[in-house]
Amino acid sequence: MRDIFRTRRMWRRRGELKPRYDVVVIGGGSHGLATAYYLAKNHGITNVAVLEKSYIGSGAAGRNTTIIRANYRTPEGAEFYRSSVELYEHLSLDLDFNLLFSQQGHLTLAHSDRAMITMAERAEVNQLLGIDSRLVYNDETARLCPELNLSDDVTWPILGALYHPPGGIIRHDAVVWGLARGADRRGVEIHPYTEVTGIERSNGRVTGVKTTRGEIACDTVISATAGWSTLIGDMAGVPLPITTHILQAFVTEPLKPFLHVIIVSSQMHVYISQTDRGEFLIGAEIEPYTTYRGTSTFPFLEYSARHTLELFPQLESAKVLRQWTGLCDISPDYSPILGLTEVDGFLISCGWGTYGFKAAPIVGTTLAELVATGRTPQLIAPFTLERFYTDTLVSELAAAAVSH
Amino acid sequence: MTVDGVPNVRVCVEPVREGATVRAQNVLGSLDRDLLNVVDRIGGPFTPVGFYYRTMLRPRRLWPQYERVLRNLAGLGCLDKSGRRSGRYDVEHRRADVLVIGGGEAGVAAARAAAENSVGSVVLVDERAAPHIDGVETLAPARAIGFYEGGLVPVDAGNVLYRFRAGKVVVATGTVEQPLLFPGNDLVGVLLPQAVRRLVDDWALKPGDRGVIVSADGAGLDVVEQLRRAGVEIVEVVDLRESLPSTLAANGRRGRLESVTIEGRELACDLLVMSGGRQPAYSLLAQAGARVEYDARRGIFVPVDLPANVEAAGSVTETEPAAAPPPPSFDGGDAKGRCFVCICEDVTEKDVKRALAEGFDSLELAKRYTTVTMGPCQGRLCHLPSIRLYARETGSDEGAIGTTTARPPWAPVSLGLLAGRGLEPAKRTAIHHRHVELGATMMWTGAWRRPHSYGDAAGEARHVHEALGLIDVSTLGKLLVEGPDAAAFLELLYPNRFADMKVGRVRYGVLGSDAGRIMDDGTIGRIADDRFYVTTTSTGADTVIEWFDWWNAVWGMDVEVVNLTGALAAVNVAGPRSRELLGRLTDVDVSNEGIAYLDTKEAHVAGVPCLILRIGFVGELGYELHFASPYGEYLWDTLLERGKDLGIRPFGLEPQRILRLEKMHIIVGQDTDSESNVLEAGMPWIAKLDKDDFVGKWALEHVQARGFREQLVGFEMANGVVPAEGGQIVLDGRSAGRVTSARMSPHLGKAIGMAWVRPQLAVEDARIEIKVDGRLEAARVRLKPFFDPKGERLRA
Repeated sequence: MRDIFRTRRMWRRRGELKPRYDVVVIGGGSHGLATAYYLAKNHGITNVAVLEKSYIGSGAAGRNTTIIRANYRTPEGAEFYRSSVELYEHLSLDLDFNLLFSQQGHLTLAHSDRAMITMAERAEVNQLLGIDSRLVYNDETARLCPELNLSDDVTWPILGALYHPPGGIIRHDAVVWGLARGADRRGVEIHPYTEVTGIERSNGRVTGVKTTRGEIACDTVISATAGWSTLIGDMAGVPLPITTHILQAFVTEPLKPFLHVIIVSSQMHVYISQTDRGEFLIGAEIEPYTTYRGTSTFPFLEYSARHTLELFPQLESAKVLRQWTGLCDISPDYSPILGLTEVDGFLISCGWGTYGFKAAPIVGTTLAELVATGRTPQLIAPFTLERFYTDTLVSELAAAAVSH
Repeated sequence: MTVDGVPNVRVCVEPVREGATVRAQNVLGSLDRDLLNVVDRIGGPFTPVGFYYRTMLRPRRLWPQYERVLRNLAGLGCLDKSGRRSGRYDVEHRRADVLVIGGGEAGVAAARAAAENSVGSVVLVDERAAPHIDGVETLAPARAIGFYEGGLVPVDAGNVLYRFRAGKVVVATGTVEQPLLFPGNDLVGVLLPQAVRRLVDDWALKPGDRGVIVSADGAGLDVVEQLRRAGVEIVEVVDLRESLPSTLAANGRRGRLESVTIEGRELACDLLVMSGGRQPAYSLLAQAGARVEYDARRGIFVPVDLPANVEAAGSVTETEPAAAPPPPSFDGGDAKGRCFVCICEDVTEKDVKRALAEGFDSLELAKRYTTVTMGPCQGRLCHLPSIRLYARETGSDEGAIGTTTARPPWAPVSLGLLAGRGLEPAKRTAIHHRHVELGATMMWTGAWRRPHSYGDAAGEARHVHEALGLIDVSTLGKLLVEGPDAAAFLELLYPNRFADMKVGRVRYGVLGSDAGRIMDDGTIGRIADDRFYVTTTSTGADTVIEWFDWWNAVWGMDVEVVNLTGALAAVNVAGPRSRELLGRLTDVDVSNEGIAYLDTKEAHVAGVPCLILRIGFVGELGYELHFASPYGEYLWDTLLERGKDLGIRPFGLEPQRILRLEKMHIIVGQDTDSESNVLEAGMPWIAKLDKDDFVGKWALEHVQARGFREQLVGFEMANGVVPAEGGQIVLDGRSAGRVTSARMSPHLGKAIGMAWVRPQLAVEDARIEIKVDGRLEAARVRLKPFFDPKGERLRA
């Protein structure tokens, strides 16, 4: 409250790079900043530099559709994301920065009996882990979202839904800024506009990084670069089973409160929420082609609009204000790749696909613990890079190539 | 304002219509007595930029209440909660040799020149109105939404969306007049020159009685004459290029302009025309690929390096007489008014300064923190002023700060227009209408519409066991694989063996990915030495065809893959009496010797050339007939007619699912997921690991070596309760597997299913517990089909 009336800097001005850090984090997004924050907060490791090639939060952290949830399909995934939701619930107070976390509930619609099976499976997996998640039918869906078009007079009638009350949306930029401030105040250096151009190794371990602003020596490098992960992996000599795709989203002009729950339809590749600012935030499935080019397409607007109006015909006169794309790092099993690699001192957080932002605080705490103790925390043990060599994949895909 | 229920309408440019309902929005009460105004005045000092990030934190449990208030204050117009689609939108694909965007002088000249040079079709698009030009098609009022990949320029023409692709695009979007930043610049009566021109020239309205002009370029001075003609008394004209006042502020009462204070002199007036220079409307050019750079001399951003086939005409690029950039903002002295940078988002100069001081010191961060440029005007009026302000406050120059990305759409566009008519295609088989006539409940399977049942799923299933059933299986993917290398090609693609297959035989095949995962399944019949007929699942057809084409290209084999999915219809005649029916309709020998189990034969059935496949997905003697789609209804009708005395009944997808489950036949995508392989799915005989190579061989060898982690098994419930598909197998309180299929078998009188379980549970008769509605129900593992485990009925 006291900060309302006085102007206080969020973080220090960018300084010169030091010749040496204990830990270098590549990527000033939600994962990189969370890792730096928890390194300092939980483990007192503060000789840390976060290197960001653009401004903080310029990548996926500032482009995602901000949905936070834990209703995953695999027990491994659900347990992991449950921990993330719990951390998010307390993150505003922890950071003393209101992240506007709006736990309005999350409805994943099923338009086919096949989808109903997937919803049932998720509900059952979630309930075993104590996650608030259940199958609802149209009478309850109508109560939860009276605005939703539940009639049969549409292409894909709604048969039921997976309801997840703790699911919510959050102000994504605030998460980035809050974490950056928290890390900076504990001594972590944040270096925007500092691009990594190489990773130095000797005898199979990391010795430093080369940047556009000079070279840095360090023992530990953590890559949290999402869509660019394979490029950073190549610098460290670690090939990653990742492909980069774009995901598109748009917002409408701000409107008075209309929708009070997050609506997702995998069948129609659309998810819809209304932010606290009043904008409808609408996103799609990833595009099928791989690219680093963040070019928005028009067909995306057309099919997303079509699908949105199937669910909410009332939005016919709402106007699209802005569309954008973000890069997604897709792993073969749609589960993340987290932790150690075959190069000593080179750690990764990638393979997030469309689920990265939801995981920021738990990635930060677990990676920080891994760096501090040298041991992989149990929660992220299923998600090692090694699983692609030992064939212990964790399928977040329900059926072949249908994410949820 | 909200006009006829459409929220957020800019009524300043919306023509009045007879009978239109116009309502104020985002007010509590009325516009004149707006309670939100009180919130704005009293709350102002407590709600600086980003205040919501710093407040309402404690106690945490109250945040939902705070949030409700915040949400209600945010947003502009209201949506009609019971609104329906008007359905009046349409889309049209258009081509033009030259597409001119903007019907001002330059646009009209460009269109005229193109027409005179007979370059072909010329189309001119303008937001308001465009004059008639010979040889030019004009679309107005219409607006180019953006410049997209492949030169796509969608044009919003009210209720029609034109998707233009043009040989050449001429962008003549002109400039946008920029406001000046001084206290009170949001008062009613403060106008840009363009607004004056519209009011006076277009609508013959007098914008005020006493006017003051403050202008950084010629635009403001140009309206002086117009205002005088309209009878406005010009109190003072300040040309900022000649003299720069040290202070400037507008003062008002109840939101209306009453006077302007210039260097301490207070001038009573009710009109203030301000002009801060003209910024080229370069967004479309930037979206097309042009670079945007800062022209320090004129103080504006200009597009350069235009891509091929895109031209700019008029003031969007042309150099005009130097207009000195005005100061980023004016000191208002002791004026009370607020100095707005962004009118849409209510962001003041103070807010921007504060954001910069807090460390949001790059353009992108400051934009996201203050929300400047993120409102409905898309930055048209605030982008340049905000950059000028950042430059001054951070001690850098505008060129170094640069611009933010010109994201599409260029102008807000309604979801209704984008959605068009909202057609979603569905695939229907050649026999579709017969199913509807027979009273089938239709359901979706992928893009197909299929009969769920004809009203009695259990009865239909039982009838197949007892007598005779008929099902439309036209949705199966159907491929012809033909060529000298056909056998070798399939041998490499599938884990199965095909090289040893005799002509006239059929084999069940499971297609694997290169990671050994199950992609699809189906039957493969050898019609000739170099010719195979391959069926796929209904939903997997497209993926399989792509997969075949991909590998065919990689291996460069002498094989052709032809997609016959839509060309052929298919039905399955199944049940103990199916042989008798088929015998009536064909000349070929249908005895067990003539067409044995897993035989295929080309024959005429009821005069229709068919490929007969004797297979048994549903577990009874049966024949799949594949034939040209146009015969669909004829053959269906004939089979029903000639089988009447044998008791033939059509059956739908649901009875088929029951029947196949009794046989433990998997459905790919339901009983398998993206990580399943044939070994753990209980079909080890599929994988011929002694073959030299096949797609995914190494992965299956690896699974073999590492041992099984889970296995697909059958189960039988102890007390007849059918668990949910997706239900969990529970061991010591934790998940130890999942149910993939479960049904009550009317024939067996048992609740049966399939499930993935831990290997230690994959033992015949092992006891497992399944969670059903929160309770644990016992079941026994079954490894052999529930019905006819030896396949005697199939071979009969």
